[in-house]
Amino acid sequence: MTFFAENGNSVIHRMSPWTKAAMLPIIVVLVTLVADLYWLLIIYALSLGFYAAGRLPVKVLVGWYTFPIIFVVTLAVLFMFTVPGDQLFQFSLLGKSIALTDHGVLLVLTLLLRALAVVTYSLAVFMTTRYNQIAHLASRTMPQTLANLFLLSYRFMFETFDEVSDVLDAMHSRNGNLAKGVSRQGRLYAGIIGLAFVHAFERGERIGKAMEARGWTGSFPVVEKVMMPGAGGYAIIAFGLAMVAIAGISRYVGTIVTGWW
Amino acid sequence: MAHIHLEDGGLAIQWVVLWNIVAVLLLALAMYLFRRTKPSTRKLAIAAMCIAVGFAVFQIEIPVFGGLHVNLTPFFGIIVGPALGILCVFVINVFSAAVGHGGWGMIGANTIVNAVEVVIGYYLYRVLKVRLSQGRFESAFGATSVALAVSAVLVVLIVGISGIQGSNLSREATLNNLTVIAIADIVTGIAEGVLTGYIVSFIGRVRPDLLGDTEGIPEKGGKPVGAGTSV
Repeated sequence: MTFFAENGNSVIHRMSPWTKAAMLPIIVVLVTLVADLYWLLIIYALSLGFYAAGRLPVKVLVGWYTFPIIFVVTLAVLFMFTVPGDQLFQFSLLGKSIALTDHGVLLVLTLLLRALAVVTYSLAVFMTTRYNQIAHLASRTMPQTLANLFLLSYRFMFETFDEVSDVLDAMHSRNGNLAKGVSRQGRLYAGIIGLAFVHAFERGERIGKAMEARGWTGSFPVVEKVMMPGAGGYAIIAFGLAMVAIAGISRYVGTIVTGWW
Repeated sequence: MAHIHLEDGGLAIQWVVLWNIVAVLLLALAMYLFRRTKPSTRKLAIAAMCIAVGFAVFQIEIPVFGGLHVNLTPFFGIIVGPALGILCVFVINVFSAAVGHGGWGMIGANTIVNAVEVVIGYYLYRVLKVRLSQGRFESAFGATSVALAVSAVLVVLIVGISGIQGSNLSREATLNNLTVIAIADIVTGIAEGVLTGYIVSFIGRVRPDLLGDTEGIPEKGGKPVGAGTSV
């Protein structure tokens, strides 16, 4: 993720981080308010377009889609067969009749589109915003304690993830996965996780000493100047807010604004 | 583990706002309690590294009991204390939302659930280990299992009260569906309890000082290290 942010070059990389950050909650609220499948498709298409404009690899995006798809399907599979509606097909299971309805399918599709739209945009933001810019945003938007925790952990997160993956690979290469049984496997993975935390503690102690040695005063100094949104950026944010307002009004007040077409 | 795996749009906007407001109040309380102890740079750096490991472990599937996905929130409570633990799980939830592991709007609800796990994990571990003199494995297992069982019920309550947006099921039917998920969460919570017991036992053998704050282990010839001051 950070590799693409630090080394990429596209119009999205050059966009003000404030614009990208402001659009994230707008998109979250928009997908929450919008219930129409076609509008959700449009929002998802726009997110995909944003991701593509950042010249980011599709393979990485498809890989990251695993989480939201699994979660939506896992939850929705219970509801899609119990939500009332017009039956699409029916089968019997253990003497009980179970039917898949049109509302059930619609529920899965809307949940999926909402999830994928936000995840696509969110990944695009993190993959096109450099660490220094994220540090600036975090220090301006979060309380100091949280911002410090966020930035320190973000800085070392991917390195830690690689370390844990390397240990797991080393275990597999030594046929550690042949160990069967709850007790054996539990102790094996507990040892790996426990060791990871011990290393985390030791690294944290070293980093804490290094920070104090360099005169850390409680906040990370922001070196890079982060540009504010330009006219185009403000226009995008204003458009997003207008869409949120229209979606909210049409959902909760009526079709006063949208009913004319 | 209990984590609301709903993505954005799963809950209606008013419930998203409500749970996020509750989470903000919880975080404010945690930050106030944490700052009151005048935390050192070392403690902050350690917590940050634990967040990094916690997030990495969160993404790993452990092939026990058919495949287990842990979030180690009660373990966070045991290792860094309740206040700092709440801040840590909030940051983990932010990172998770960024990669689609739960929605951005769900950060509030997930923080509430995970905060309950952290707090129960910490205090129950202390009761079992320090007051009742149980072993580390038994104490961590008991604390984790109970914490995750409580949070599984809390997940049902939060999602049951809020309802799933777009679902026209009655509240009763929704709760019935969620009960199935809660039972699965309680069962995996017991499995995570076993794993946490092994992890705490391992850390207790290798670096017992890391558990000193929670267990109130006295230094040589001195007062108990941070007994009762863990936040």
